[in-house]
Amino acid sequence: MNPFDLLGPQFLLFYLILGGGVILMLGLLRRARESSDTLKVNLTDPYLIAYLRGGKNEVLRLGTVSLIDRGLLVVKGSRLRSDWQQATDIITNPIEKALLQKFLSEDEATSIYKDSALEAACQPYLATLTRQGLLPDEATRTTRMTRFIIGGAILFFVAFTKIMIALARGRHNILFLVFLTLLAIVVAYKVSNPFRTLKGSQLLADLRTLFGALKDRASGISPGGATGELALLAAVFGMAALPTSVFPHAKALYPKAAASGSSSWGSSCGSSCGSSCGSSCGGGGCGGGCGGCGS
Amino acid sequence: MARHAVGAVVAEDAAGAGAKMMDRFGIGWRPELAAGILCNLHDIDVVEVIADDYFSAPRNKVRALRTLSGQVPVVLHGVSLGLASAVPVDMPRLDRLARLVEITKAESWSEHLAFVRGGGYEIGHLASPPRTEATIEGAAKNLAAARQIVGALPAVENIASLIDPPGSRYDEPGWISEILSLSGTELLLDLHNVYTNAVNFGFDPLDFLARIPWNRVTTIHIAGGEWIKSDSSSETPRMLDDHLHDVPVSVYDLLRAAGTRALHPLTVILERDGLYPPIRELIAQLQLARTALAEGRAFQACHRGVA
Repeated sequence: MNPFDLLGPQFLLFYLILGGGVILMLGLLRRARESSDTLKVNLTDPYLIAYLRGGKNEVLRLGTVSLIDRGLLVVKGSRLRSDWQQATDIITNPIEKALLQKFLSEDEATSIYKDSALEAACQPYLATLTRQGLLPDEATRTTRMTRFIIGGAILFFVAFTKIMIALARGRHNILFLVFLTLLAIVVAYKVSNPFRTLKGSQLLADLRTLFGALKDRASGISPGGATGELALLAAVFGMAALPTSVFPHAKALYPKAAASGSSSWGSSCGSSCGSSCGSSCGGGGCGGGCGGCGS
Repeated sequence: MARHAVGAVVAEDAAGAGAKMMDRFGIGWRPELAAGILCNLHDIDVVEVIADDYFSAPRNKVRALRTLSGQVPVVLHGVSLGLASAVPVDMPRLDRLARLVEITKAESWSEHLAFVRGGGYEIGHLASPPRTEATIEGAAKNLAAARQIVGALPAVENIASLIDPPGSRYDEPGWISEILSLSGTELLLDLHNVYTNAVNFGFDPLDFLARIPWNRVTTIHIAGGEWIKSDSSSETPRMLDDHLHDVPVSVYDLLRAAGTRALHPLTVILERDGLYPPIRELIAQLQLARTALAEGRAFQACHRGVA
């Protein structure tokens, strides 16, 4: 039986199955390559976890939350300001230092996303996570892309051939197939190229399990009293997990992140893909914790 | 104040002696303490996980435990095997424990010298069995079965009791020593349980410490409890080992005494099961434990030097 002789609905069904198979295969190949044993990670650094969860933007948002909670950044509507200039000398964490320096002149909270100095301060986290195999390195990205190109090519050429045959036979009802092809290729790309490696996603899932009780008692965290816990909560579960009683500024400062329970994909696409491509920062550790952590 | 100053000097000297022994200090893993523990791993050498919490846990919870063991050494602690009994140990439970030890790569495991079921009924808590030849033999058989299934013997823990088990032919240290001798296993010495039984039954806890085989003690539990009294006003109050209160001074004194006796490194675990204080208070209790054990070590070293 030649699948290209199938009638429209039957061919669409065939294509759906083919697309599902290709996507499943891409996912399984990625799983086989990227899974591995447990590893030791510096869990005392919430910024590292935040980067793993959602890339640069998550780290910077967490930095502002931590500094606001400690009274080092002042909130004015949707804007932030650092009142205490000497704090930039006292604070040792590079992310926090860079944030304090940025907000010496008052600015919109969301301006952190476009600041090159802040992006540079986040680079060591990217390097550490990549080195530990929690985020894809250059070789992994190349392998992923090669697999996607092969899978995408199969999906494209099967659809293209059918469209050509249909047009040659004088049929023009190809819109569904075009839509299905685009959809299958987009899904294949997402399955092939997630922000984290499988190992990274598993670690994050494990952290969510380990810190589950922290989320349950989030409303009991005292503002300004336990920054370490507040930072861990935001790092592992995101801004949306911060109760307004603990951190009332989330909606005003970062409305998108505060509304989204899991902003990892969206924010990572906007932040880390750009910065991670081609990055070869060989930096060492990522500095200290979130100020209060461990104190 | 002067006493504190002298204590600080002793602790400083003692800390040096203790450091050579490589004693370890840890805390019982509870989900409520997770963030605090992981934020303070520089002060925590080991965490003790209640194995039974994971027997029927979903895969993701067990995998998370394995991830935890990648960050900090993990030891497993069982509460439901009921090893100290003439009733054979429950094999399916042992099997689950064996799998958990394998998956989590736990360093070691431990269980209580208690019985928890009989005649097909679960008691629901750790009960002290009659201290007889039958329970010594039963415990030794159960420990042998545990070694076969799990691949390693558990350290066994002395328990606290509100009643002196009727029909006993041994006192507690004698009974424990017999089980250790017959089974070849090690002792997890719960100092708060020793203290609780001592105040409830009127014996000197230091005598208890003098009679146990210290070469078999590998781990020490410290915890807190509270005085309870029944409605009957004639009854004297009893100490309850509830793990809901801070470690009392008497337990630190016993830990200091332990330091004078143990010749090998010990792992000290702080147990807390509820009414959780801020993590810094638990870390402070661990620090007091470090100091107490180190002072005992220093005393021992000093006296060995004199001898």
